This record gives sequence, C-alpha cells and structure tokens, in this order.
Amino acid sequence: MNNSAVVNPVPSDAVVVDGVSMVFNEGQQNQVEALGSIDLVIRPGDFVSLIGPSGCGKSTLLRLIANLLDPTAGSVLVNGKSASQARVEQDYGMAFQQSGLFEWRNVQKNIELPLELKGWSKARRRERSAEMLELVKLSDFAAHMPWQLSGGMQQRVAIARALAAHPPLLLMDEPFGALDEMTREHMQAELLRICAAAETTVVFVTHSIPEAVYLSNRVVVMSPRPGRITEIIDVDLGDDRDEDSREDDEFYARITDVREALRGADRVAGARGIEDR
Amino acid sequence: MFRKIVAAVLPPIVVGALFLGLWELIVKAFDIKPFLLPAPSAIWAELIDRSDDIIDATLNTGTNALVGLLFGVVFGVAMSFVLMRFQVANELITPLAVALNAIPIIVLVPVFNNMFSSTTEVPRRLMVTLIVFFIVMVNVAKGLRQVSPTHLELMRSYAASPTSILVKTRIPNAVPYLFTALKISAPAAVITAFVAEYFGGRQNGLGYSITSNAAASRNAASWAYVIGACTLGLIFYLVSIGLEKTLSPSDGSTQARQQQSGGLTPGGVTT
Repeated sequence: MNNSAVVNPVPSDAVVVDGVSMVFNEGQQNQVEALGSIDLVIRPGDFVSLIGPSGCGKSTLLRLIANLLDPTAGSVLVNGKSASQARVEQDYGMAFQQSGLFEWRNVQKNIELPLELKGWSKARRRERSAEMLELVKLSDFAAHMPWQLSGGMQQRVAIARALAAHPPLLLMDEPFGALDEMTREHMQAELLRICAAAETTVVFVTHSIPEAVYLSNRVVVMSPRPGRITEIIDVDLGDDRDEDSREDDEFYARITDVREALRGADRVAGARGIEDR
Repeated sequence: MFRKIVAAVLPPIVVGALFLGLWELIVKAFDIKPFLLPAPSAIWAELIDRSDDIIDATLNTGTNALVGLLFGVVFGVAMSFVLMRFQVANELITPLAVALNAIPIIVLVPVFNNMFSSTTEVPRRLMVTLIVFFIVMVNVAKGLRQVSPTHLELMRSYAASPTSILVKTRIPNAVPYLFTALKISAPAAVITAFVAEYFGGRQNGLGYSITSNAAASRNAASWAYVIGACTLGLIFYLVSIGLEKTLSPSDGSTQARQQQSGGLTPGGVTT
C-alpha cells in the first residue's frame, strides 16, 4: 500500500494531476465542493481505477482529466501537455456508461466518427475501422445499426470508437455499469485484452470493488465531501491475469484492502453507494 | 408476405362492407328520407355522376393543403434553427407557439379573407402554413436541442467544432422529430385547407361543395364530396408515413426517446 499520491512526476507521465480542486457554483447558495486538493500521477501502461461512494467526485476527476471541466485550482497534464491541448489533439478516447453510439450511424460509421473529425481520408478510415472491429471481434456487425446490438456489443463498439484514433490514454466512466454480471465479467476480460493489444493507459471509474481489483494495477480509493484520495492500493495480479485470477489469494486480499479503505472513508463521511459484488 | 397483407387488410374491409350493408339495410327498411341519411348506394351514384367535379374539388383543396404544408415546413424548420441558436428566442416564442396551438386559430380565416383578396387561394394557404409552421417549429427545435448529454460530451472530447456538432449530432438527432411533425401536420394541413373554405372565398373546393350541397338538401352529393375529403386526408397521411419509412433508418431508441418527451399536436384544429 502506498499513501503518497505524487511520486516525482516526470514529463513522460500519462496523467499528472497537481493540487486540483473543483468547486461547482462557487460563491452561490448551492455551492458544492466536489474535489478537495487532488494529487495523482498515472504512468504510461497503468490501469488505474477510481472507486468511491456516490458524490466522491470520481467522475468529476475523470472529466477534469478529459478537459470536459476546468478545475477551480491546480493543473492537469496529459501526455506532458495541458489537458485542453491534449483534448484538442485527441490524446485520449472516452467511454461512458451509456454507450453513446449515434443511433443514425451504423457500427462502422460510429467507430469512424473521431477519425472523420480529425479529417482522415475515407480509405484510411475504412482501414482503421476494420482493424478496430477485428480487435473487438465485431467484424461481422460493421453494417448493423446500434439498436440491433446487445448492451455488451454496444459497449465493445464504444470502446473500439474510443480507441480508433490510437490514443495513448483511455478514460472510462462506469462503462459496464448497465450490464448484467455475466456480460460484465466477460467485458472486463475483453477490455484487458484490448488494452494490452492497443498498449493503452486506462483511467477507469467504477462502483464495483471486484471490478476495480480485477482490472487495475492501482486502485484509487476516494471519499466524499469534498472528494479526495484516501488511499491508493497496488494490485499485483500480474500482466497475464485471466478468469482464474478471480480466485487468486491476491485478488481476495486486495478486495479486502479496498473494502477496508472504503469503510475508513465511510466512517469519515458517512457515505454509501458502493457495490460489494 | 401475401398472406400477411391479406391478414392485415381483410378484417377492416369485411367490417367496412358489413357496416355499409347494414347502413343500406336500415335506410331501406325504415324508409329513411334522403335528406336525413342517404343510402350508400345513393352516395355511390352521386360519386360516379359528379366524379369530374369531385376530382377537381379534391385537387383544388389538396393543392392548398400541399402548398401550405411545404411553406409551413420550410419556415418551421428555418425558425427551429433560430430557436436552437438563441435561448431568448426559444423562451419567448415556444410558450407562445404552444399557447397559439391550444386555441382554434382557424377562426382567423375571415380576417385573412379581408386582408388578402378572398378571390385568391392566399388566405387558405396562409392558414395552412401557419398551422404547420408551429407544429414543425416546436418539434424540430426540440429535436435540435434535446441531444443526449453523452453525445455532447463525446463531441467535446473530440474537440469538435460547433459546426461539426450541428451537422453530425443536432441535425441527425432532429430528423425523427421532423417526421413526427410531418405525420401530425399532413392531416392537419388537409383539415385546415378544407375547413378554411367554410369561411367563404373561392367556390372551387371540397369544403365549399360539401356545405353548399348540404344547404340545398343534396345530402347524397355532400357525402360524395366527403369521400373525396377522406381520400385526400389518407393520401397525405400515407405519403408522410412513406417518406419516413424510406428516408429515416428504422430506429427504436429515438422514437422511444421522443415519445417520452412528447410532441406537439394540433389542439386548435377541430372541425
């Protein structure tokens, strides 16, 4: 376990969050202090999960990294650039709980959207979307419309779209939250395979302790009001984790660690909303 | 395929034929006078007899409805972009449009007849345009505005320009709303074109023919023109559905989303 968040940031780091705080509606009656002072360094190749009760600001932190929000104080560096520069250069891909597929575009056209916006030629887009479809094992569904796919398949398309421009960073906000347990475990294994193949760094927001432990090499435990990092737990399941890893002693030990860290956070803030499954 | 069509079409035809048969039977059995209720056979005879005139009247009223519909759609779509772009306009105009829609603005036709020459079709077409305009404007503006927050966040994460967001997100999102508006507007346009003739003006359409024949106690003739009106309404509705089926990808989710938010229906248009 490791309580110090910032470990000597270097320019090559995937994400450097430095003293970031976020206050919504500042100075008004309904002012909310969403994030306290957050320091976090994410190394290239890391799979980092943000876990915590509702209202702990984990989605806010993800949106700050994505530059969908601007921090009230502090700075965010992505790939050694400012977060806004990184967004403009599409240095990250993003996936949400709702797959967010454009229902008037077929699967292939959905995957090509970020490439279209980057101004890629049609031939180049075709080539890349075919490659991504193969990666997520949906080559036979290129011409299908989103509503013809199951929830798990839609999420796979969303992941393929997020990775289509080969960004070095993937930001995910509870992407499997709406899936059933069986599909969810399958998608977790698929995500590890896809990210290993694409050599992507991942920041992953989740409510589920086993999901965080299974996927991550670091689990960031957060507590609410204001949101801050209470503990960072290293998980050593190795790079070749598979379904058997779910029965590993290390898996259970780290689940216990995360749960206790959350309880500690809970005692502080009296929060709730964590899934134990 | 053939069996499916037969299964879908046959029952209403049978019920319709039974209904007409019963109608004929009752008129004959109780010797109901033609000025009260003409028999279907008498209406059919009038329909054949006056077929040229009925077709003319249907074309006249249909042209008014079509011209008004087209202008209403064009202006309505144009205005919906203004409402999308300017929040102030949206807050000012949308409640007004909804309120206007709740009152029978068709009563303005006599005013239009005075403002514009009642010997032209302008007042009627203007009335249709007005009715369609509000339906299309409110629905399409809703489609342009009510974009999924996830889509907007995604587009922002791609650093998409406002133009890209408009072209690749807002406009495609609004297309099903436009078709919904068309499905509501098409029959409303026919009804409006038709009812507008009740308020005077040129004497060449279905509405005028129905009232004038009814006033002269030629009930069977009135009914024959009513058949023309029914046909016209059906054609408009079927064409609007056909357009949707061919131009819009069948898509459950958008329709579901739209039904939740509810569309604007023409409360003010009643006969």
